[in-house]
Amino acid sequence: MLSLIVFLPVIAGLIILAVPSSQKQIIRIVSLLAAVVQMVLAVMIWRGYDPSLAGITAMAGGMPEGSFQFIERLPWISLDLGNMGSMNIEYFLGVDGLSITMVILTALVSTIGVLSSWTIKKQVKGYFLLYNLLATAMMGCFVALDFFLFYVFWELMLLPMYFLIGIWGGPNREYAAIKFFLYTLFGSVFMLLVMIGLYFSVIDPLTGNHTFSLVAMASQENYIKDAILGPDNAMWRYVAFIVLFIGFAIKVPMFPFHTWLPDAHVEAPTPISVILAGVLLKLGTYGMMRINFPLFPEVFQASMYVIGVFGAINIIYGAFCALAQQDLKKMVAYSSISHMGYVLLGLAAANSEGMTGALYQMFNHGTITAMLFLLVGVIYDRAHTRQIDKFGGLASYMPVYAGIVTVAWFASLGLPGLSGFISEAFVFVGAFSSETTRYIAMVSVLGIVFGAAYLLWSLQRMFLGKRKDDAAYDLVTGPDGQEQIHFHDWNGKLDLDGRELAMLIPLVVITIFLGIYPMPIMGLMTTTVNHLVEVLSPVMMAVVN
Amino acid sequence: MFELPSGAEIQSIISILKSGLGFFIPEIYLSILFMGLIILDLALKGRNKSGILGWATLIGLGGSFYFIAQQHAMQAGEHFFGMYVLDEYAIFFKYFFVASGMFAVVATLADRKFDAEVKSIGEYYALVVAMVIGMVMMAAASDLLMIFLAMELVSLSAYILSGYFKRDARSSEAALKYLVYGAVSSGLMLYGFSLIYGMTAETNILKISMELADHGYDPLVMILATLLIMAGFGYKIGAFPFHFWSPDVYEGAPTPITAYLSVASKAAGFALLLRFFYIAVPHGVSPYEDILGIDWLTLLVIMSVASMIYGNVVAIWQKNVKRLLAYSSIAHAGYLLLGVIVMDEIGTQAVLFYLLSYFLMNYAAFYVVVLISNRTGSETLDDYRGLGSKMPLAGAALTVFLISLVGLPPTVGFIGKLMIFSALLSKGALYIWLALIGVLTSVISLYYYMLIPLNMFLRESLEPNEKSLNPGFLAQLMMAVLMILTIWFGLFFEPLSEFARYSSAMFGLSLY
Amino acid sequence: MDQTLSEFGNVFVFFLLGVVFVAGGYLTARMLRPSRPNPVKTSTYECGEEAVGSAWVKFNIRFYVVALIFIIFDVEVVFLFPWATVFRQLGSFALVEALVFAGILILGLVYAWVKGDLDWVRPTPSVPKMPEMPASKSTSQRD
Repeated sequence: MLSLIVFLPVIAGLIILAVPSSQKQIIRIVSLLAAVVQMVLAVMIWRGYDPSLAGITAMAGGMPEGSFQFIERLPWISLDLGNMGSMNIEYFLGVDGLSITMVILTALVSTIGVLSSWTIKKQVKGYFLLYNLLATAMMGCFVALDFFLFYVFWELMLLPMYFLIGIWGGPNREYAAIKFFLYTLFGSVFMLLVMIGLYFSVIDPLTGNHTFSLVAMASQENYIKDAILGPDNAMWRYVAFIVLFIGFAIKVPMFPFHTWLPDAHVEAPTPISVILAGVLLKLGTYGMMRINFPLFPEVFQASMYVIGVFGAINIIYGAFCALAQQDLKKMVAYSSISHMGYVLLGLAAANSEGMTGALYQMFNHGTITAMLFLLVGVIYDRAHTRQIDKFGGLASYMPVYAGIVTVAWFASLGLPGLSGFISEAFVFVGAFSSETTRYIAMVSVLGIVFGAAYLLWSLQRMFLGKRKDDAAYDLVTGPDGQEQIHFHDWNGKLDLDGRELAMLIPLVVITIFLGIYPMPIMGLMTTTVNHLVEVLSPVMMAVVN
Repeated sequence: MFELPSGAEIQSIISILKSGLGFFIPEIYLSILFMGLIILDLALKGRNKSGILGWATLIGLGGSFYFIAQQHAMQAGEHFFGMYVLDEYAIFFKYFFVASGMFAVVATLADRKFDAEVKSIGEYYALVVAMVIGMVMMAAASDLLMIFLAMELVSLSAYILSGYFKRDARSSEAALKYLVYGAVSSGLMLYGFSLIYGMTAETNILKISMELADHGYDPLVMILATLLIMAGFGYKIGAFPFHFWSPDVYEGAPTPITAYLSVASKAAGFALLLRFFYIAVPHGVSPYEDILGIDWLTLLVIMSVASMIYGNVVAIWQKNVKRLLAYSSIAHAGYLLLGVIVMDEIGTQAVLFYLLSYFLMNYAAFYVVVLISNRTGSETLDDYRGLGSKMPLAGAALTVFLISLVGLPPTVGFIGKLMIFSALLSKGALYIWLALIGVLTSVISLYYYMLIPLNMFLRESLEPNEKSLNPGFLAQLMMAVLMILTIWFGLFFEPLSEFARYSSAMFGLSLY
Repeated sequence: MDQTLSEFGNVFVFFLLGVVFVAGGYLTARMLRPSRPNPVKTSTYECGEEAVGSAWVKFNIRFYVVALIFIIFDVEVVFLFPWATVFRQLGSFALVEALVFAGILILGLVYAWVKGDLDWVRPTPSVPKMPEMPASKSTSQRD
């Protein structure tokens, strides 16, 4: 099941490879079919998932069965390393409360990404090949339970992303693509070293061999005491935690490693922006929750405050930057940074409310930002500009568009009744109830104010009021005497068409529904999050030692 | 005064030689192949001569696999009075060098520049075989004299091969530079050998190690000797302070020879380096404290770090693809040295595995470079612009090979790096800083490697010409196979790593 | 302390004797000979030839080829002499070995011969052609 959902896009890619590159429509439809089937599979996994099982660590006796679900575990590679024993790499997939939400999110955003890719005209075959490879890598990352496998998927994302930004991107795409690539690789090579170090430090209790299994790594009793990352080597454990954290923080992206994000977003084509903001950023925080924190809980305990501070900086700094942007897409990109700050803050709170809020925020941010970028793409498609002050009074000419924009913008700023509100509220509840992050939370609340400011201000400038003198469109009087809008270099399309509605309506529905009744998603994660909090708590660590 | 040996003594010498011959069959076969190619060259006339010679070399080299495979059944041991050993380690390199010779021939057959530049191709193939013989002997030599002889056989063949385009000034310059640097470094190495001989009165590396272990040595002389010997080995592997020849030679030499030098010649250097330093001058064998606080291991560490940093940083500014790959090969020598530094079986295994992966990805990359230059007549980065849409398979393949050279999964190059870093970290915290430099420099390497796909895919061609360039069916197939292999072994590398582990058994190592 | 010379001591004595021999020769000559230089005497000795012009002149490459082939067979003889002295004890195996050795060298001679490197005067001097076209041109012609 999980193998199928992971490798389905690659299968689609192989089919595309056989299709001649002139058959663009077939290529698109094959990709869409794969994405839809993936979506169906995700729903089936969702239906079959038992939310009462925790995950994160193995249950007593060391067997992950019973705590993880949909497990697929095969020996992949067994390497004899002489006196170091043998290196065992497993093909080990499974889901728990952390990953199930992300699997659903990935399937959803991938499908919407394919729909949004209809506008890609250049080298369609190459585009969808890379797109499907990317989809596989993302899904693989979320379900991999072997560190080695995780790392392979993690790195596999980079190359397609590089080309997707680099070939189909905007004018400054070369710079943005290589910057993205270098930043992420910089983070992940450290992860490689930590991975090897962990491998030499952890023993699988069942086989007695060293292992890459993340499940075994999450239990502190499986560590060899005097190994390089064993409990006796506190110094190296700190170093490992920090470099691992930086590796994931680059992906989040956390201040001060965020500078690749605005460049990548501005240059990337719309569907890639959607994927990037909707799924890829989540991988950073998912990696923290899956790998970084449970593997080094005592270091996490010591660094909660710092993580919280960085979260607050992200929230406020991102909001300030967004406030200053003229480019609508850049504004949305910085708003992503700000919103990922809430996730970090929730994680730093290290209690059930905060962690749930963080995970829920990851899901909601995925859907909401996808919506935001799609909406930016819609207006860019028509006006060929994204400068906020080139618009004005659009609401009266594109009413449907303006309506959806309003929903998305309000969801983003956390209006009650929309999904963003619930997750932010949980994050703040968690952060206030934790003594570590109480004061950080107080400062972070300012972020909501600034968030409201930039979102409402842009809404007002673009959709309300009248046409400005240097606007990206002219007003002409039509044959029926009505004033009509006329963009420069216009392709004639005004309000949303069917395909765009097909992408946006589901997202709007999800946003509203999850804002009113969050349990379908939140119910999946509760047990796991509670267990994670337990694993990370000092009480638990005292028991182990 | 010398006395004539008695008849019985002579008989015993003869019988030792005779018994040694049984373990020397692949080398004898290759020598016969070498001479046979010269005779064939003299005998053949006509237009298809170069093709026939090439295929003959290819088949001939392929035939030697049979004789090498026979050797697995043989007992590891020394032959010819300790001149030459046969062990799994040597057999590994025999496969390696014969295969790389074959690959050089394949690339030569694909390279159209030879048709235009070269009038007489016969000696070329014979010299490729001669180099194979020399390298095979380097991997198996266990005596200082044999080491020197084998190295000179490789070097002399390589000098001629790198200058094979006589009318191309760059090619001639390459050969001359190679010759001058080669002469200097083999001179230095000989001096180092003579110091070792002066200390131990032995030329066999096993006996040298016993002598050093029994009687100790003067650390000052030892460090001088190893430094000088390192000059010779470092020149062969193209590691940092001895790398000066490599960019010019790699750029000027015919591309198949560049690939051949960058893979096979480097591997031969490592074969020698590993055997010599593991067996002859084991680390920490001295009963005396090192007064300088440095030993050859420190020298290797310095060489390795300098190579990684220098190679990867300088490559950033290169405009010529071959030159870029030359600097990258300096960096790869640095990564390989990391595996040597670990000084145990895991390290050797990692080095052997890395060599295998380097073989695959570097040859493959050069092969694509040859195909591209066949079509465009150029090797500069600017002329790679827009090639991605004209030669999509070549572009995709080259991208995969370069990604593998960077060391990203799921390619074989990633596993190579993984093995090297695993070997380093298996020593605990001791070598973490080396691993850190390794991974950081590989991030730098991403930048310049990606310049090639950047030009191929992200930029438009300077002369808008939408005609697609087809490199031919056979070449397409070859590229596809290499690309699949690079990824396949990145995912299922067990056979390769098992082979590497099995081959890390070096004769004489177990004596410690 | 051991009073006998080691093997390296022998070498050192040999080295000393060599220095003394050469230096002594020059020294006695200097002391005995009268010093009456003239231009002919001070000129460079070149096998009786008159030393004209710079030493940096181009030699015909064939001098080297012939000299190399001569040296190869010269050295071959050096190897064959000790072989010949014990040939009686060595038996047929050594004969085969020597034949292989000579055979390889003869192959080299044949090679040089067939390639025309032994012809001193070439009947038809080859006229240097124009440099070949760049690879791209030549390939496009092939297609």
